[in-house]
Amino acid sequence: MTQIIPDFRLDMTGEPCPYPAIATLETMPQLQAGQVLEVISDCPQSINNIPQDASNHGYQVLDIQQDGPTIRYLIRR
Amino acid sequence: MSWDDFKQRYLIRFWAPLPAVLAAGVLSAYYFGITGTFWAVTGEFTRWGGHVLQWMGYHPENWAYFKIIHLDGTPLDRVDGMMIIGMFAGCLSAALWANNVKLRLPRHRIRIAQALCGGMIAGFGARMAMGCNLAAFFTGIPQFSLHAWFFALATAAGSWFGARFTMLPLFRVPLDLKKVSAATPLQQHASRARRHFRLGMLIFLLFILWAFGKSLITPKLGMAALFGLAFGLLIERAQICFTSAFRDLWLTGRSQMTKAILLGMAASTIGVYSYVQLGVAPKIMWAGPNAVLGGLLFGFGIVLAGGCETGWMYRAVEGQVHYWWVGLGNIIGATLLAAWWDRLGPLLANDYGKINLLVVFGPQGGLMLTYGLLALAMLAVMWWEKRFFSRKSEQGQTVKANA
Repeated sequence: MTQIIPDFRLDMTGEPCPYPAIATLETMPQLQAGQVLEVISDCPQSINNIPQDASNHGYQVLDIQQDGPTIRYLIRR
Repeated sequence: MSWDDFKQRYLIRFWAPLPAVLAAGVLSAYYFGITGTFWAVTGEFTRWGGHVLQWMGYHPENWAYFKIIHLDGTPLDRVDGMMIIGMFAGCLSAALWANNVKLRLPRHRIRIAQALCGGMIAGFGARMAMGCNLAAFFTGIPQFSLHAWFFALATAAGSWFGARFTMLPLFRVPLDLKKVSAATPLQQHASRARRHFRLGMLIFLLFILWAFGKSLITPKLGMAALFGLAFGLLIERAQICFTSAFRDLWLTGRSQMTKAILLGMAASTIGVYSYVQLGVAPKIMWAGPNAVLGGLLFGFGIVLAGGCETGWMYRAVEGQVHYWWVGLGNIIGATLLAAWWDRLGPLLANDYGKINLLVVFGPQGGLMLTYGLLALAMLAVMWWEKRFFSRKSEQGQTVKANA
């Protein structure tokens, strides 16, 4: 697997849904086209909202990595 | 498929919501056929509040509300009680399998206030309408009770206000956004993952044995516990969230969970119908102002809290402390409603009819009407989604043109 290097990190650890997804959607427009945001969330429910919302709103979900309770989303603008 | 593949794919990775909600819909129909009641949780939470009051020396068993929902024995003697114990066991096993149990402490004080107040409003509203997302929506609509439709529409409206409210600056915390040049290293806890998996399996297997043993003595109670276990597995593994089904339509235009739930109800409806035709009595509640007002409060409360009566259960066992407060709020809110029911009941519910669509429109008519309304709801969701994103892209273009 090729390693994807993010440009920004949004750490939403400890925040319940919907805030991680909302924050992701609010942060994405601040990136330059092509830049990658890494979102860290330990809200398990985010698995059903961050990837869907990101692609619904026109961003590309590059990878979802799960390590126990922590989920990392890599999203390109 | 090797054991490791199976484990990774089904026991560790999350399940897709649609098949899980469909399975919950089908199981809830069988549950109705076997136990004679619908899959529901808030009534039992209210009884827990009643037990606490009894320990404190009060006599809630004489209150009108507890005469309606009964307060006999302990949770171990009740279908709802055994089912809920099963749900907790299922949620906990599923969360442990995936190494998804971690003490997640709220980072901000406002979240605790939000959880407790939202939980209380939701608990109060749900019991006013005689059911939550389950009994007055997901398993209420397939019972052909008109009150569930009132409740569902009111909940949608209430959740819109809730979504507006929870986006106020008061609830928004500063974002922790950093420029980075490397991915965060993932912390591997292989030994913990193994330990938790084994513990989850142990709880799962012991619970099956216990529930099976119970089913040999009192079949309904044992079966209720086993069904609860399955419901618990489904909601945790697929992170089924009724709150997000309403809320995220308004917030981000996402409709996946809403559509899944509508299809789940469609799967359940025909199953419940067949049992009703065989003579099982459906659970019909008052279609009065209580269902509308209760739905509004409930819709607002679940969004403020971040989860409903079903949702807090799996999140609480995952170690999300936020949802311990939501659960506590639910029980307090539901118990308050029970305490005030002597006055509220005559005002909002008792004089209104318990309307069974299968009686009003005949069995075939009621069935067709229910499917027609479900189809209409699906079309409305699709229309809303389309409108949401076309307005969004228009806005985007205006911003670009101005720039």
